Amino acid sequence: MPVSDPRSRLALGVAAIALALYALFFAGDYALHVLTRAGIYAIAAIGYQLIFGRLGALSLAQGCFFGLGAYAAGLGALELGLGFPLTLAAGVLLPSLLAALIAIPVLRLASHYFALATLGIAQLALLVATNWTDVTGGANGLYGVPPIETGTLSFGHGLPLTLLVWACVGLALTVSHRMTAGQRGLKVETLREAPLAAAALGIDGSAIRFRFFVASAAFGGLAGALQAHAVGVVSPDVLQFHVLVLILAMTVIGGRASPLGAILGALLLVHLPEWFRDFADYYLVVYGVALLAAIIFLPRGLAGLFGKSKMPPVETADAEAPHDPAPLTLSVETVSKRFGGVTALDGTSLTLAPGEILGLIGPNGSGKTTLVNLLSGIEKPDGGRILLGDADITGKPPEHIARAGLCRSFQHPQIAPDLTVLETVEAIATKGESAQARVIEAGLSTHANERAGTLPPAALKHLEIARALATGASILALDEPAAGMNEVERAALATLLKRLADAGHGILLIDHAMDFLLPLADRVICLSAGRVVAEGSPHEVARDPAAINAYFGESPL
Amino acid sequence: MTAIALTQILLNGLALGAAYALIALGFVIVLNAAGAVNFAQGELVMAGGFVSIALAPLIAEATALPGLLLLPLVMGLMGLIGAGFAWIAYFPVRKRHQVAVFVSTIAAGLVLQHLANAVFGAAPRAGPPLISGNGVTVGALSISLQQIAVMICAAVLISGTGLFLGRTQTGRQMRAVAQDPEMAAAIGIRPKRMITLSFALAIALAGAAGLLLSNQFFVSPNDGGLFMLKAYIAVTIGGWGRLDGAVIGALLIGIFETLVAALTSYLVAEALLYALLLIMLVFRPSGLLPERARARV
Repeated sequence: MPVSDPRSRLALGVAAIALALYALFFAGDYALHVLTRAGIYAIAAIGYQLIFGRLGALSLAQGCFFGLGAYAAGLGALELGLGFPLTLAAGVLLPSLLAALIAIPVLRLASHYFALATLGIAQLALLVATNWTDVTGGANGLYGVPPIETGTLSFGHGLPLTLLVWACVGLALTVSHRMTAGQRGLKVETLREAPLAAAALGIDGSAIRFRFFVASAAFGGLAGALQAHAVGVVSPDVLQFHVLVLILAMTVIGGRASPLGAILGALLLVHLPEWFRDFADYYLVVYGVALLAAIIFLPRGLAGLFGKSKMPPVETADAEAPHDPAPLTLSVETVSKRFGGVTALDGTSLTLAPGEILGLIGPNGSGKTTLVNLLSGIEKPDGGRILLGDADITGKPPEHIARAGLCRSFQHPQIAPDLTVLETVEAIATKGESAQARVIEAGLSTHANERAGTLPPAALKHLEIARALATGASILALDEPAAGMNEVERAALATLLKRLADAGHGILLIDHAMDFLLPLADRVICLSAGRVVAEGSPHEVARDPAAINAYFGESPL
Repeated sequence: MTAIALTQILLNGLALGAAYALIALGFVIVLNAAGAVNFAQGELVMAGGFVSIALAPLIAEATALPGLLLLPLVMGLMGLIGAGFAWIAYFPVRKRHQVAVFVSTIAAGLVLQHLANAVFGAAPRAGPPLISGNGVTVGALSISLQQIAVMICAAVLISGTGLFLGRTQTGRQMRAVAQDPEMAAAIGIRPKRMITLSFALAIALAGAAGLLLSNQFFVSPNDGGLFMLKAYIAVTIGGWGRLDGAVIGALLIGIFETLVAALTSYLVAEALLYALLLIMLVFRPSGLLPERARARV
């Protein structure tokens, strides 16, 4: 539930007013103390949502960032004599620096290794804090961290502290909103659900991951720093695993992707011990059970209960016509690729002119998909050159190639199932591109507001093409777009591809359905065991003995 | 350091590593069967320790082999708990994103940890010894009977698990499901049953490790995290998804910890282990042996 939609903005407003009224008029000292704690954890949880909820990376270092923020603020105040707000800045800075430092090696790890690596870092930080007694005070920690004061204003405790903390919650909400609203949020959603496609569509995943990881650390650190001032003590306890588990639980129970949910989760879990006091030692068991129940029964958390409000339907009538692409020629020069002892491509060359449809055929394992992977940068060639116009794109990363003007589709569509068709395309649309125009162009206007995950297979293929077009790509490499389609759907796809070629797109088309491909293609290349065995007009190739021998079995004509 | 001292350290390390190996083995079995990291594996080891302590009074003090007699009982009970664990913490979320399984197992571990805390208290407790009686002294080398028994038990359980998975029909079916659940289902194997069995086996092994560790190293409700981390590291060192690698990784960690702790301190050993893990993840994230687990996207 993004904050941007009107219903949740209203809910947020009402909740904020209710909370303010409660804090101002009804809460006693103890209630304010609990409310302050909830606010502090809400900040950490809003940060955690960025990396865990939005990007789906299970960071186990959020508790560590919280603890480091507390130590940085505590040491800043006690050892360096820093005052507010410099102590808070120190609390934000130290974990952010650590996150930036470890981000490069750690963020490229697969999900389970990422979890382990962040856990290892958290354990190291705990060991250092417990045993570097001279600086951290060892197991006893730091005592007498001064309360927050600036000039004549004191935010030491009670209502002023609660208000300050919740003002910081508001700040965290604003920053998180800016990072996830609109197209940015759609990009992030695509990156989480379809990382391979995201790269092939020009989304720079590593930059987004880096930004979100550092931001999560900054929020964790800010929360820790506030905690240090609010409690006055910093002990290694703030670095223990249970801090992470608490933040994780708040995020899961509240809702992974909704900042409002994070606040709800924090309020709930901080108050839970108060409500379950009668259970004594068993209340923590209840908390574990609640976490388990939330992950099983509430996949979107409490925020999911409010539902997603409907987006306004797309006006398809007056959308502007899509741009014609820049005319680019693709030249592949003696490209080769080996996997271990297997040679997948062996000195393959081809050219694709603007407005041309080039059919690529060949038996399974002949190197067709490998070629598309090399073109789109998902694999790096062992030899040869790939030129896009005058630009050498050999071995460049996928997002670079996509921006240079070559975009691909996948055999198995890679989409974010929760985004609507229009949102899926909007996530990708580069400057000057109209997502609406591309949706209409691909013949999807009736599906525009449906979730991509609910589309029939044929429409998904069209969606992939619309998305590729929205990058502004001149050249499309389509991997079996007609697979699984019936006659009617194939005809519709053929019409679309013809129109795109007429508009100036060069299309590299892989397919096994010859009655679809041969009438459509201007030229055909037949691959076998990584080599071009036949090339020419569809007519010529269909009668070529080498192609018949390698692929057709008998001539399809 | 004398040769005797070194032998002594290696022996201690091997005994510790052998217990870690059981934990890591269980961790990999679940990993392969369910494609999921079981973050509760450490808590299940801890639970095995407390189950042993709770059951110990059943075995008369006078018996010479209290722990050994308890072992089948503890493993049976933990196996049942394991099957339940699969149905509560795994099956409801198996179709969802991998992270959902991470979180559900963390939550289940949390429940176990706090349950142990509420029932037994936070203080470390000692479990029953496998064999009562003192050790043998060979020259200057002192070998405790307990250590020998731990190593023998672990060796028997590890090879037993290997034989079961490699040689029996059920074991082969479990591996078939681990490799390709759809294909296994297509040839008449019931994946759910095999996955449940894998959890039961894995958690029985965790329970055994809990019993083996509980006498010499004590057990407290908060120990789970460390056990889990050791198993996780062992599996990473040994090559994600490899049973043999997990055992080798665990033995290496046991010896490394004991050796470095003897030379410097336990603290340095611990810190160095994490540091080495991070370095390995940066330069060779697939482990020292080749990775074998298939990617689940």
